This record gives sequence, C-alpha cells and structure tokens, in this order.
Amino acid sequence: MNEICEVSGQSSGRTIDVVHASLIRRRRAEKRFRLYGLVSIVLGLCFVAILFASIIARGYTAFQQTSIGLDVYFDPELIDPEGRRDPVTLMEGDYDRLLKNTLSSMFPDVKARQEKGALYRLLSSAASYDLRDQVLANPELIGKIVRVWVPADDDIDMFVKGQLPRTGAEGERRIKDLQVAWIDKLEAEGRIEKSFNTAFFTSGDSREPELAGIWGAVMGSLFTLLVTLSLSLPIGMAAAIYLEEFAPRNRWTDFIEVNINNLAAVPSIVFGLLGLAVFINFFGLPRSSPLVGGLVLSLMTLPVIIIAGRSALKAVPPSVREAALGVGASSMQTVFHHVLPLAVPGMMTGAIIGMARALGESAPLLMIGMVAFIVDIPRGVLEPATVLPVQIYLWADSPERAFVERTSAAIIVLLVFLIFMNGLAVYIRKRFERRW
Amino acid sequence: MKARERMPEASFNREYSQTVGEITSPNSRIVCRNVNVYYGDKHAIQDVSLDIGRNEVIALIGPSGCGKSTFIRCLNRMNDTIPGCRVTGKILLDGQDIYDGSLDVVPLRAQVGMVFQKPNPFPKSIFENVAYGPRIHGLVSSKAELEEVVETSLRRAGLWDEIKDYLHQPGTSLSGGQQQRLCIARAIAVNPEVILMDEPCSALDPIATAKIEQLIDELRSHYTIAIVTHSMQQAARVSQRTAYFHLGRLIEVGETAQIFTNPRHQLTEDYITGRFG
Repeated sequence: MNEICEVSGQSSGRTIDVVHASLIRRRRAEKRFRLYGLVSIVLGLCFVAILFASIIARGYTAFQQTSIGLDVYFDPELIDPEGRRDPVTLMEGDYDRLLKNTLSSMFPDVKARQEKGALYRLLSSAASYDLRDQVLANPELIGKIVRVWVPADDDIDMFVKGQLPRTGAEGERRIKDLQVAWIDKLEAEGRIEKSFNTAFFTSGDSREPELAGIWGAVMGSLFTLLVTLSLSLPIGMAAAIYLEEFAPRNRWTDFIEVNINNLAAVPSIVFGLLGLAVFINFFGLPRSSPLVGGLVLSLMTLPVIIIAGRSALKAVPPSVREAALGVGASSMQTVFHHVLPLAVPGMMTGAIIGMARALGESAPLLMIGMVAFIVDIPRGVLEPATVLPVQIYLWADSPERAFVERTSAAIIVLLVFLIFMNGLAVYIRKRFERRW
Repeated sequence: MKARERMPEASFNREYSQTVGEITSPNSRIVCRNVNVYYGDKHAIQDVSLDIGRNEVIALIGPSGCGKSTFIRCLNRMNDTIPGCRVTGKILLDGQDIYDGSLDVVPLRAQVGMVFQKPNPFPKSIFENVAYGPRIHGLVSSKAELEEVVETSLRRAGLWDEIKDYLHQPGTSLSGGQQQRLCIARAIAVNPEVILMDEPCSALDPIATAKIEQLIDELRSHYTIAIVTHSMQQAARVSQRTAYFHLGRLIEVGETAQIFTNPRHQLTEDYITGRFG
C-alpha cells in the first residue's frame, strides 16, 4: 500500500516536471504560430494599401479637368449670317472659326501655319461643340464678347497637372517650348483653371481622353446587372429551395448537386463562349447588348446563388421545421412561413456577393462583343453597351497619356461600387441575422 | 445482457419476442399492430403492437436507443421527414389507417399534436407562436376569436399569468420551462385529440418539470397523451399505463402501478430497479 502511494506520488511529481518542460516548447510554438498569422495579416493589408494608394494616386487627378478661359466674340457673320436666330442655322455655324479667331487675336505674333496649328491644338476638339451648345441655349450671346471656359486638349491638361515634362530635349516632349510659353501666358492672365470633371461622370466613351466618360459603362453595367439579378435571383432561390426542402434524396439530386458545384468552378470565359454560341448565334439576340451580357452573367452567378441559398437553408435548425410540421403546417407553409424568413438574410448575402462578382467580370463579356467602342449611352437592354471592367480594359489599352489616369479613375469608381455592394451584404447579414 | 445470462435460452426467446401484459385498452383510440420501422437497413422497431386509450396518459420508458421516440413519431407520421425511414404494419386512429396512401398528413398532424424534447418555439412573438396553428388551419374567423384561442391555450398550459403582458415579446426570450409550456400551448391551440410528448422535461429543472407534470395531469381529461420519458419517477407520477421498450421491441405493458411494483418480465424488472439503462 505504502509503495503504491509512493509510486503514484513520484509519478505525479514527474508528470508535472514533464508538463513544465514541454510547456516552454508549446508556448514557443504558440508564439511562433501567432507571429505567422500576424505577419500574413500585415502583409495582406500592405498589399491592399499599396493597391489602393497606387490607384488613387494615379486616378484622383482624372476627377479634375483643365479648362481655358477665352473672351470669345460671337461673330454673327460666322454663326448667324441671316440674323434670324434659327436653331437649324445656329447648329451649322462655324464655331471652330470663332475659337481660332479668338486665339489668333490673343496671340497676334503667331503667323506660321505650323505654329497656328499648334496654337489651335491647345483646345479640345470638342470646344467648338461647347460653344454651339451655349449659343443654342442662349442666343442672346450672338454679337457679344463673353468669357467662356472651354476644355483644354488632353496633352495640355496633362501638362498643367504636371504629368508631362517641361524641360528636356524638345523633340522628345509632347508639349513644345512655344506651347509652354503660351500656357504660361494664359496662366499669368488667370485663363487656366482646373475644375471638377463632370464630363467624366456624364458622358460615354470617346477617342479624346478629355471627353471620355464612364456614364455609358455605368449604365451598361446597371442594365446588365438588372438582367442578371432578375433572372438569377428568382431561379437560384427557387432551385435552392426545391433542392434543399422538397427534392427527394436520390441519385438524380446527387448528380445535380455535383454538377452545380462544378459549374461554380468553371472559368468564366467558358460561359462567354456558351453565350456566344447559344444566345447570339442560335437565338439571334443582338450582340454587345446588356441582355446577352446579363444572360451570360446569370449562368455564371446561378451556381453561386444556389450554393449560398442551400447552405443558408441548411443552417436553419431542423427543430423549426419539426415545430411547424408538428402543428400541421404543410411542407410549403413550413418552408415559406418559418424556414425561408430565417434563411433569407443568408441567401441575400450570397446573391449580393454573386452580383458583385458579376459586376467585376469582364472575360465572358469580351466573348459576346461587349468590348466594342461605344460612344452612345445605352438606354435599354437591347442597345449596344459596354460595362465598367471592360471599359477599364479598353482604356488601359489606349496609348494616350491621359487615359492612364482615367483608367485608374474608372477603377476607383468600380471599387466604390464593389465596396458598396459588399458593405450592403455585411449590413444585411448583421441587421437581419436572427438567433434562435 | 445480464438478463440474457440469467434466463434459460428457450424461455428468453419466447418472452423476448412477445409482449408481456395487456396491449389492448378498453377504450382504445390508437391501435397499432405489428409496427416495424426501418432506418435504411437498421431495423429500429420490431413488431410492436399497442393500443392507446381515450383520456389516458401512457408512458413509454426504456434505455436510450430502444425506439420509444421512433414509435411515437410514427403516430403523427413525423418519421416521414427522415430520409430512408420506412414504416410497415398498421396504425389506426379512430379506425382510420394513418399510413393509408390516400391519407393527408396535414389533418392528421392537426389531430395528433406533438411536443418535442428540446423546446422549439418559432422565432416569432409569443402570440404568433400560439396563433400560428389555428390560423393556418382556419380554425378562427376573426381576430377577437384568435385572441381568445391564444388566451385559452396559454391558460391551459399554465403560462398566461406569467406572460400576459409580454405577448409580443419573442417566444425565444422565455426561460426553458416557459418555452416548453409555450410549445404545449402551441400544440393544444389547434385542439388536437392526441398529444405526443417526446421527453418534454429532459431539458428542464425540477420546478419547471413539476409544472409540466401537473399540466399533463390536467390535460388528461381532454386529450389522449403519449409521453416518452427517461425518468421513471415521472412515468410513475403522470401515467396510467406504462410500456417498456427494449432494443426496438415492446417488452411489457400494463398499469403503471403494476409495472413499477410488480414487473412480470425480467428485463423490465432489471430496468426499473436500475440494473441497466
């Protein structure tokens, strides 16, 4: 008896020593593991910060546009020779000449043909349309001298924003010494101003960077997402409810489940090819249209919504179903009165994440022709359109220096949309999540 | 296992395969004959025949996994919801075969209510919990009538005085015992004829248990009640008849007093004297 006590006492003493010895090792492993985690988080945050910083640093200047103030004499000879203020005549006036005359009178020394060309290129090619619109809106201007602000050419804009060099070999610069002198003179006279770039948010695409805007792409994205949402949400939710709550468990439903999971992993460009073959070539739907884009993105989003919906339904405790069935609710009443209200926040979160993915998708849309250069702002789902990510892709491909900042600015807009959508998903989950 | 060792092989087999005691009831409402339940390949209940009488509380006792819960879940066809579950044999409710292919389970479940092991109120208000059944079955025609049904049900469940001022609080905010009484109120709100209770007190403290037992006793005058319990004291307190299940078979059934004082089967005796289970 005594011996047993001694042995057990001894062994317990030894156990604690062993535990202590191993403790140091265990604590060290724990610390190391924590450090790994911390390093990964910090690295991740660094990359996100670098991404945001570089995009914002490059893109924020695009939200401003340089314009040049000119004292334009609205010469009746050029724009309204008959003096009738007839809109049709006013439409066809030679506003280009007005601007050229104004510039020539401001810089009377410029005589050579080439130099004149360089002088006129200070202004955007759209400046004359601006003048025309002003005259059409207010014919009173005719015959007066008025200071008007017209957009500067993209190179001038870049130069004023300090993104093109001032010095260096002249032959390698886009802005020549002569132009530098003119700009300095205009600046000294207070005729150069940077203002908020409304055109960027209100106009469609253009070959001229100072005229290019994202509104066309935003509308295209909106229509595309509308089609996607109105198709994939009801179909996806109905499929999820049927598969989870009503379908018998057999070989067929297993087969369907495996296929849905596989579809979620199919590269998106494959859906684009499918859309091209089926929707455009077989059904003859108009190419480049948000309708086809929406259909393709629906195919891509459906598996995501179904999988998210099913897991949201699975998360509803079976006791709720039993309770409802126990008082005599039919299967449909059980699902719609009790299970679905508890699952909807989860389903919605999945749907919004799927939509956000669809908003950021470009590859399948390239396949169905939404990559075309489209100036007009789409007004419906059948009109040719492009979407934000494809617009970014198109601009990133353009050689003009001014498209660099516009690309970044469009990325900022896209990121704002994505952050908003993901924020909404988080909000819905937090707000409507119910505990039981 | 001990029973098997002690009994001669022949008598054991005979007694084991046949229920001891009176399975019929003079005033029977539910009649079960040769009920077998299979979960996939597993034979969960073997040849159970048992009657449940009017205004009677029958307690089903037995060790875990013996098929008591499975058996009462057959009585309102809750087993239909379990994939791979198959039921054979006959179960008659007032002479009607409830496993008849043409029978609709919705009215059956309105007739045979159920209270589950874990209190499971809907995540809605107390009022909505009780009002749900009458509303979906169209038992009431006006809001006033519905309020009356809710009040009577809550009164019968002995919960009214405690919660009458909080009717629009969520049902999940109540304590465990109150939640279980809410579930009983929800079950009796549809005015069933039979109430099945699957270990209704297993998650409750003794005070809440006492309240529910008292409630069961009061409900007996209106309903037929089958209660599954692990507590032999509870079975002795609330029931008139007791059925002892063992490994999927109904071993013995009889008057509660007789089962607890003078069990006829060796397995029953071993169980109630605490040799196993």
